[in-house]
This record gives sequence, structure tokens and C-alpha cells, in this order.
Amino acid sequence: MNTLVQRFSTTSAQSEINKAKALAADDQDFDDFAWGSEAGFGTIAKGVPTFSLPAVPDPRAFLRLHTDDHADPNCRIKIQHGTTTLAFRFKGGVIVAVDSRATAGSYIASGTVKKVIEINPYLLGTMAGGAADCQFWETYLGMHCRLHELRNRERISVSAASKYLSNLVYNYKGMGLSMGTMICGWDKTGPSVFYVDSDGTRLKGNLFSVGSGSTHAYGVLDQGYHWDLSDEDAQELGRRSIYAAGHRDAYSGNTCNLYHIKEDGWHFIGNYDISKMHYEGPGNVPGSENVGYGYDVRVVGRSSANPPPSAPTPVVAA
Amino acid sequence: MSIMDQNGGSVIAMVGKDCVAIASDLRLGNEALAVSSNFQKIFPITDRIYLGLPGLATDVTTLKERFRFRVNMYTIKEEREIEPETFAHLVSSTLYEHRFGPYYVEPVMAGISKTPSGGFKPFIAATDLIGCLNYAKDFVVAGTASSKLYGVAEGLWEPDLEPEDLFETISQTIMNALDRDAYSGWGCIVHVLTKDKVITRTLKARMD
Amino acid sequence: MTSVFSPPGFNFSNQSRNDFIAEKGIPMPKATSTGTTIVGCLFADGIVLGADTRATEGDIVADKNCEKIHYITESIRCCGAGTAADTEFTTALISSNMELHALSTGRKPRVVTAMTMLKQMLFRHHGNIGAALVLGGVDATGPHLFTVAPHGSTDKLPYVTMGSGSLAAMAVFESSWKPNMSRDDALQLVKDAISAGIFNDLGSGSNVDACIITASHTEMLRNVEMPNQRVEKERQYRFARGTTAWKSEEIRKLVVSEEVILLAGGDEMDTT
Repeated sequence: MNTLVQRFSTTSAQSEINKAKALAADDQDFDDFAWGSEAGFGTIAKGVPTFSLPAVPDPRAFLRLHTDDHADPNCRIKIQHGTTTLAFRFKGGVIVAVDSRATAGSYIASGTVKKVIEINPYLLGTMAGGAADCQFWETYLGMHCRLHELRNRERISVSAASKYLSNLVYNYKGMGLSMGTMICGWDKTGPSVFYVDSDGTRLKGNLFSVGSGSTHAYGVLDQGYHWDLSDEDAQELGRRSIYAAGHRDAYSGNTCNLYHIKEDGWHFIGNYDISKMHYEGPGNVPGSENVGYGYDVRVVGRSSANPPPSAPTPVVAA
Repeated sequence: MSIMDQNGGSVIAMVGKDCVAIASDLRLGNEALAVSSNFQKIFPITDRIYLGLPGLATDVTTLKERFRFRVNMYTIKEEREIEPETFAHLVSSTLYEHRFGPYYVEPVMAGISKTPSGGFKPFIAATDLIGCLNYAKDFVVAGTASSKLYGVAEGLWEPDLEPEDLFETISQTIMNALDRDAYSGWGCIVHVLTKDKVITRTLKARMD
Repeated sequence: MTSVFSPPGFNFSNQSRNDFIAEKGIPMPKATSTGTTIVGCLFADGIVLGADTRATEGDIVADKNCEKIHYITESIRCCGAGTAADTEFTTALISSNMELHALSTGRKPRVVTAMTMLKQMLFRHHGNIGAALVLGGVDATGPHLFTVAPHGSTDKLPYVTMGSGSLAAMAVFESSWKPNMSRDDALQLVKDAISAGIFNDLGSGSNVDACIITASHTEMLRNVEMPNQRVEKERQYRFARGTTAWKSEEIRKLVVSEEVILLAGGDEMDTT
């Protein structure tokens, strides 16, 4: 009787040992080298990675209940939603610009998030939606791009890479993946940009913006975009668009990260503080007039409704 | 999302040595979309009382006028200026009257009251949305960034700050708290009340 | 047009709008509540009431040193738990009515009178007024101790506790309360009961308030015990003046100084 109780009990010491044994047995399915050589993506040999699912009758409904804050505002797992990312193609390559804010509800969890994922020296991915989803799958994509190189003795095209990603996430459709990304790079066909999201959508285009601040960014981007833009002007357009979104959108802001992809791969152009751009401009960079982007900064002294401020003089305490 | 987060905004008041300070952000938003960077949430009631009203913007505007009306009626009937303690009870009872259909605001008051001996005493208070008064000896906060303001203010506030030092402390408190709140920001305004003057400054705050 | 005269009682003008907001699934914002431990007990000469001093707003401590023992009359006091605004205004209203009652009858009002007024008011509002009270006092008929629940039911007991810390406090009373205790023993027991709430219930905290009511005298002991004093900061976080950058400044001087300058020869009255 006692042994029977022990075997099926979930709290006894025996059950702890049983659990440990079960875990160890699971681990032995993977060879040790898999963890070392495949950087945690231990199941690469078997194709698509597999994940353990919650032990409930309907894992999809379960996940949605616990991750979707539209279904339940008090859900325990908060996925990063707000963001602004953009990428556009022009004669000089591809410009990729993103903000750096991460929010959980109204709380700004971080102001220094890296939302551009450097897949390899000539491919960039952007991050919107679930940070972990984007990071994991785009890193995984990087591995397959390298395998493609080894197998075919040439770099993977941006088109093929993005299709690989969209097919991957389509396998998990409806299971709670959340990503809206742009795969950008330069291949035999020249500069190209693909939009891929977790619904399985994959679009080729000249110009995309993703995230809660995308409408604000599109406003500036559409107005200033031209295929024959110079490198400097294109970079300035990227910065200016992210500034606009960071300024207006509560879920975007802090800083802007700017990348430029040319024939020889991507180049990191710089990191710009959005408030500094508002008051002083992006600094002494090519393409910029180096004046503040802010409305009140631009109109000051131009009309009687916007008089220049009287010079502030420090006041000695009473 | 709570209705109190619809338009965003935060207010804080602090006590110093023979002075008080009250500060707010200047944002008016429609959920995530920022609409105005010059939305005043702090209103002068008398020369020595300032009232901050963070919350639903429609109620902020309505209550501002309602309090103006009730303070004017008080002044006419009593033939004297209202004292901060009295005004706090006026705010409290106005909100409690709407106990079962409340205004979505959390008022914060700062003022200098006159003592019977002719001296001046700093006064701050806050109420919840149905008018429960909360007097404090140090600071009071309200709005979408209230949890962040509590944290920073608990760390930075100290007793007996002179007006210029109180200005630095309240400004740093609100600006650093606002940097962690998505629904507040877009500029800051600070009022420092002393017995013989009111210093109002707009801060160079983050604009994102 | 707004009327100058508003009828007494609650105003429901925002109700339909707020119902509309609630229908969209937006939750009602939370009001300040007193998580609270409140107690009262009988002793040889009268009543001792006790309360903690924490007010909470969700999981945030809104007030670290609030007053929960409310004045009803000189020899009747009432501890409040639940929605803070409700306990505050309900006790204030009953206190006012008790004063009027005392003036119209010309007698010292009784504790049962206050209890009846409170229970009738709470019953009328079907529990919508979230006040849980401990009422105690001494009148012509001796010492009395009641609890009043939000729906209007009442209890009359020799020792009572209420609020989220009521279980912790009742454990102390159940193990140590005895009939006909001395004043000092009763006060110590109340302090222990409130301390049990302060340290074992997350909704209660900070300091102990107590009130001793006897036939001849009422003694309000505000912050009779302060077991949670914060240690003073050893250094300070003061900012150097000029740390904060600002864009514009306006100074309103409240003291107006005026200087009267007489025009030359302006003193005399013109009599031409």
C-alpha cells in the first residue's frame, strides 16, 4: 500500500526522484554535442524544432488566454507589443531604422532594446511583437542561411531566406507566435526588403513599417521617399521617420538605431536619442541640417504666436 | 486598460520648508496617440492654493469649472478667501456626492495656509476618485505614473527643503518617474508656492 | 444651467455614462480601501478601541499613517474598515446627526442610537456603501460594543475584530481576553491584537492607534505604538541647484509693493 501511495504521489521524495529520472531520460534524446555545436538548437538534424506544449486539452486556447491581453487584460504573460520599425529600399541599398522602447502595459520596461537582429553580415531582421519569438526564429533562420551557403556554395537570396522564415512560422499558425518582421538584405538581385509576420504573410516591397508607431512613421516616410534618394538623405529620412513615431506614439521612443545595407553588407550608422533629436537634432551627421525636429523648436520666433523664449535667468532663492 | 489611462497624465505635490511644490506632465493622449503637449492639469484656485487633476480629461475640464463655481460661491458667502483645509473638504464632498457614478479624477492639492497667529503652514492633500482625503507630511502622487512616482519620491524626498532645492527634488522626481511611464510625459510644469510668491517653470523634459 | 441649489444625498448624473464605459468591459478604477485591522474590547471601566494606520489602493500603500478611529460623540467612537471614503463620510454623517439628536433631546446620546442610525443607513443602501465598523462607547446604560457589517447587520459582543486582519487579531483576543480586565491590561491586549494584524496581515500595517472610553473620560491615543519607524537616511540625495534644465519661468509676486510719488505741489487742494 505504502509503495503504491509513493509511486503515484506527486509530493513525496520518491516522486521527486521519478521526475528527475524522467527529465534525465528526456535529455538523453539529444547528444551532448548537439548543445555545444548547435547552440541550443539541438534538433536541427530532425528539421523544425519541436516544443513541449501545455498539458491541457486545447493548448492554443490556453496560450491565448494567458498571453493575449485583449482576451484578458490581467494575463500573466505580457508580450511586448508597442514598437516602431521601418525599412525601405532605394538605389543606394536598404535603410533599416527602429526605436528602442519596450513596454509592459503602461510601464516602460526598457529604453535600450536592440530591435534589429543581425542575422549575418548581409541580412538584417527587425523585431516587432514577441521579442523572444523574433530573436529565436531569426537566429534559427541565420543557421539555415549558413547551411544553405555550405550546401550550395553561394549566399542565400533574401527572397529564399524570408520564405524559409514564413514557412516556418506558418507551421505554428494560431499557436500564439507573435512577430512582425522585415527581412532585409542585398543579394544577386540588389537590395530587397520582405515583410514576414506570424500569420504567415510574406510580402515583397520597397517600403514597410511595422508596429504601433508605424502609421506615424509612414506619414513621414511616404512623404519623403524616392528611389533616387542619396545615401545621406535616405539615412536622414529613416531617422526623421522614427523620431516622428517616437514623439507621437506612447509605446515607441527613447532612441533610434539606424542601419544601412549596401552591396558589401550592412553597416551600423548610429544610435540617436529621440528627445535630443527633438530639441537639438541628430547631431553633426551627413544628411541632417542639425536643427531640432520638434515643432515648437522649428517654429520658435517665426510668428507672434510663437515668440522666442525670454532668456531664462537663474533666480536666487527667497 | 482602465478609463483612468485613457488620456494619461500624472501629478505630484511635495512639502518643503515654509513652501510647497506641485508638478504635472503636459500630455493629453488618446490611448497611445499623443494629441497635445500643452494640456494643463494644475489650476490655481486662490493665490495660495493650486489643484492638480489627473484622470479622464473630460472630467478634468468639468471639475475645474465646478470647483471654480463652488469656490466663488464660498468667497461670496463668507467674504473671505477659502483656506486650503476647507478647500480639501470641498473637493472631497463634491466627489463623494458622486459616490455611485464617480468622476474619473484623483485630485492633488498644494497650498499655504494661514495660522491663527498670522504664520504660514504648508499643506498638501490628495483624494481618490470618490473623495477619500489623504493628508501627508511629505508628498502625495496621482495619475498613470503614480506607482513610479511613489518609488522615486520615497527615495528623493527629505524634510525642510528650501524652495529652490524643493524645485530640483520635485522636478527630478517627476521627470525620472515619467521616463518609465508610457502615458505621461510630453513636457512638465512645476509650481513652487512660498508665502510671498509663486514660481512657475516649464521643464526641458523628454518628448517621446 | 447648473442650479445653485443641489438636493442633499447622492448624485447619479454620471451613472449612465459610467455604465456605458463599464459595458465596454473597461474595469472600474479602484478606490482607496483600508485593508485594516480594527478591534474593540470591553474592560472593567469601559471600552478600548484599536486600529492600524495603513490605507491601500490595490497593492500600493496610499497612506502610511491614516486615522481609522472616527469621532461620533465625546463618549462614542467608531473604527472603520472597507472603502475608506465610505467609512469617513458615513461616520461623519452619523456624528452630525448624533449631535443634532443630543441638542433636540437635551440628553447625552446612547451608543445604541448611533448603532441604529448606522445600520439603518447601511441597510438602506443594500451593502453598496462598503463600510465595516466597530462601534464602541459608554452612555447612561453602561459600556457597549458593536460591529456593523456593510449590509447593516450588527453584533453585540464583549470583544470584536473586523477587517482583513480580523483573524489575526481575534486569535489574540480568543487566547487572552478575560472579563473585568484592568485598564492597562485591556490596552496592552488591544495593542497586541492590532500588532498581530500589522505583522501578519498584508492589508494592515504601520502604527497602532487606540482609544480608551470610560464613563467620565475619553482618551484618544494616536500612534500609541510605532513599531515600523523608518530609519533616517544617513546621507542625502539633494540635487545641486541648476540641475534641472527649464525652458521658461514666470514668477507671481503675492506681496505687492507700491510707492506713492507726489507730484510737485500736489498737496494742497485747488481752491481757485
